[in-house]
Amino acid sequence: MKKLFVVIKREYIQRVRTKFFVIATILGPLMMVAFTVVPALMFRIHAGGPTRLAIVDQTGKMYTRVALEINSRQALQDEEESQGEQQPLELNSDPKRRAAQAGRALPSYYAIEQVQTDNRSIEEIRKQLDGRVATKQLDGYIVLPPNLLQTGQPEFYVRNTADLFTKGHVADAISRAVSSQRMADNKIDETLVRRMREPVHMRTFAAGASGRESKGESSFYLVFGVGLLIYMSVLLYGQLVLGAVIEEKETRIAEILFSSMRSFPLMMGKLIGVSLVALTQLTIWALTFIGISLWAAGSAIPIPHISPMILFYFGIYFLMGYFIYATVYAVVGSMVTTTQEGGQVALPVVLMLVVGFYLSFSIIRSPNSSLAFWASMFPFFSPITMLVRIVTETPPLWQILLSLGIGFATATGLIWLASRIYRVGMLMYGKKATIPEVIRWVGQS
Amino acid sequence: MDDSKPTLILDNVSKSFGDFKAVSNLSLSVKGGRVFGLIGPNGAGKTTTIRMIVNITVPDSGRIELLGQPMTTALQDRIGYLPEERGLYKKMKVGEQLRFFAELKSVSGKDADERIDKWLRKLQLQDWKDKRTKELSKGMQQKVQFITAVIHDPDLLILDEPFAGLDPVNVEVMKEAIVELRRANKTIILSTHQMEIAEKLCDDVCMIYRSRKVFDGRLREIRRSFARNAVALRLEGSDGVLNDPELVASIRPVGEEFEALLAPGANPQVLLKRLVDAGVPVSKFELVEPSLHDIFIEKVREAA
Repeated sequence: MKKLFVVIKREYIQRVRTKFFVIATILGPLMMVAFTVVPALMFRIHAGGPTRLAIVDQTGKMYTRVALEINSRQALQDEEESQGEQQPLELNSDPKRRAAQAGRALPSYYAIEQVQTDNRSIEEIRKQLDGRVATKQLDGYIVLPPNLLQTGQPEFYVRNTADLFTKGHVADAISRAVSSQRMADNKIDETLVRRMREPVHMRTFAAGASGRESKGESSFYLVFGVGLLIYMSVLLYGQLVLGAVIEEKETRIAEILFSSMRSFPLMMGKLIGVSLVALTQLTIWALTFIGISLWAAGSAIPIPHISPMILFYFGIYFLMGYFIYATVYAVVGSMVTTTQEGGQVALPVVLMLVVGFYLSFSIIRSPNSSLAFWASMFPFFSPITMLVRIVTETPPLWQILLSLGIGFATATGLIWLASRIYRVGMLMYGKKATIPEVIRWVGQS
Repeated sequence: MDDSKPTLILDNVSKSFGDFKAVSNLSLSVKGGRVFGLIGPNGAGKTTTIRMIVNITVPDSGRIELLGQPMTTALQDRIGYLPEERGLYKKMKVGEQLRFFAELKSVSGKDADERIDKWLRKLQLQDWKDKRTKELSKGMQQKVQFITAVIHDPDLLILDEPFAGLDPVNVEVMKEAIVELRRANKTIILSTHQMEIAEKLCDDVCMIYRSRKVFDGRLREIRRSFARNAVALRLEGSDGVLNDPELVASIRPVGEEFEALLAPGANPQVLLKRLVDAGVPVSKFELVEPSLHDIFIEKVREAA
C-alpha cells in the first residue's frame, strides 16, 4: 500500500510541476473563450457596409411593406419570444434553426431602393439591374410578380447566392409583408390575430412528487454535459495515461520497479496519479469558469435547480466513466511501444462512448425498457445511459448500485489486465505484442 | 572458512518462455559476505536467473530461498538490483530520483536523505544533486543507478554487467564500492560475460551455458583443479633446455614470451634450475593458472 502512494506521489508531482501543465492550465480556458466568443464576434462583423437591394414591385402596392419588413427587427424579436427564450443557442440541435438564430444575431442592415418600372418590360429592367449588380452598385434585387398576393412567387437575384442569412431574411420579410397585406385586404385586425396565436406555456411536474415543478430538461442537458466532459477528459488525458505507462518502457526503468513492487499497484498508482493531475486541472478550469461567469453576469445567471442526489450521481458516474476509458488507454499502453500507435489503437474503444450517446435518445423515451436496462449495465455505456435513466425515471437503487459495481469492477479488471500484460511484455524488450501473445502473457506468471 | 547459512539458495529451478528453455534445473547457493560471479556468454540465462531471484518472474518449477525464507514481495526490499538495461527518469532531479527509489524500497524520511547525501559524496556526485538526470554524463548516470541499487542497504546486491560502458576511472570507483560492500559483509552477485572481471573480483563462481550450469564452486579451487602445469617464460636463448621431452611437452610463443606446457609429472622447479644452471638469462618465470576463459572453453568442449 505504501509503495502505491510512492508511485502516485511521483506521477502527480512530476506532472503538475511541468511547464506543459502550467501552460495547458492557463491556455485551456483561453481556448474555450476563444472558441465560444470569437465565432460570435466574427458573426457580428458585417464587412463592407449595408446590403444594397433593389425591389421591382409589379403589384404596385407591396414595396413599402416589404421594405419595412426587411429593415424591421421588431418582427424577429416577436418570433423569438414565442419560441421560448430559455433555450440556449448551442443546445439547439437543428442546424437550420441554429443558422437562423445566428443570422438574427447579426446587426446587418439593408439599403433598399424601389425600381421605377416606367412601363419598361421586366426583361429590360432585369437587364439593367443585372448590369448594376455586375458593376457592384447593387448586391441583389427582388422581383415581386403582379399576382404576389395570390399565388405568385417572388424572385431574388443576388450576386452571393451562398449568403443564407440575407436569403432567409428576405424570404421571411416578404412572407410577413404578404400575409399582413392579405389580412388588411380582408379587413382582419393583425394585432388581434397575433394575440390569438399566442402559444401556451406548459408546466411539467413529476407525478406523485411533492408537487415541485420538474426541471427535467436542465438535468437532461447536464447528462449530456457529463457525457461530453467524460469524452473530452478521456481524449485529453488518455494520452497522458498512455504516456505514463509507456514512459518506463522507453527508459527501461520497469525492471527496477518490478524488482521493488508488484505490477498491479504500480499500474494503479500511475492511473490514480495521472487522474489526480486531470482532476486538478479540471477543477482549476471549473472554478475559473464559475468565477468568470459570476463576475460577468453578476447574480443574474439562472442556476439550474438540481437535487444534491443527482449531482452526487453525476460526480460518481463521471469518475467511473473516466476511469473505465482511462484504463483502456492503460491496457493499450501496456501493449504498444510508442504513444503514437497507442492513440490509434485506443480511439475505436473511445467511440463506444459515442454509441452511449445515441442509445440515450432511445432510453429517454422508454427508460424502463430492457434495452435501457442492459445499456445501463454495460460498463462502456453506463456512465451516460444510467445517468439518463436516473434523471428521467430513477431506476431502483439496486440497479444503480449494480451498474456502479460492474463499472468499477471493469476498470479494476482492466488495470489488472494492463499490469499483467505490462509485466510480461516488459521482459520482451522493444517488441510490439500481437494479440495471441498478449493472451498468452496474461496466463503467464 | 565461512560456514554460515547461505544468503540465497536456488534449488532445481527451471523457466521456459514458450518453447524456449531459458534456465533448466539450476541449483546454486550463495554465501554471505562473498562476491558470487554468475558468468556465461550472452543469452546463457543469466538475466532470467536474476529476474527470478528478484521476483520479477516466477520459476516454472524449483525453489528460491532468500535469507532462509521462500521468496516473497516483502523480501524484495532486502535485495538491491542493478539491471543490465539501465534506466532513470530523465527529467527528474538526481536527488528526487534517489528519494523515489529509496521510498520504493521502504526507506523514507530523514533516513533516506542522509543515505542519499552519503552515497552522492562517496561517488563524487554531490554537486549534481539538483541537476536533472538527463544533464549528467553517461558515466555519472551509471553511478546514480548504482546508488539506487544500494540506497536501502540491501543484504543481497545483484549487479548485472555493472562495468558495461564505464570508463577506466569509473570502473575503479565501482570496483572499490563493491569491495567495500563485501567488507561490510554484504552478499554480492556479479553477473557478467567478461571473464577477466569475474576472475579479479569473485570469490565463488557459477558458470552457465545454454540454460545449464557448467560448473560452480570456489574460484581458487576451480582453478587449482584445472591447473595444467604450464609456465610463462621470457628469456634469451634456451641452450636446448626447452627441447628436453622429459621436461617440456610443448611450447608456443605468446607475444614476446613463451608458454611451455610441462611434460606429465615434470616439476617446474627442476625446469627453472636447469635454465639457471645453463646460464640462460631468465627475466620471467611464472606458473600459469588457467584463466576462467580457458576453463570455460574446455568445459563447453567436454559437454559437447
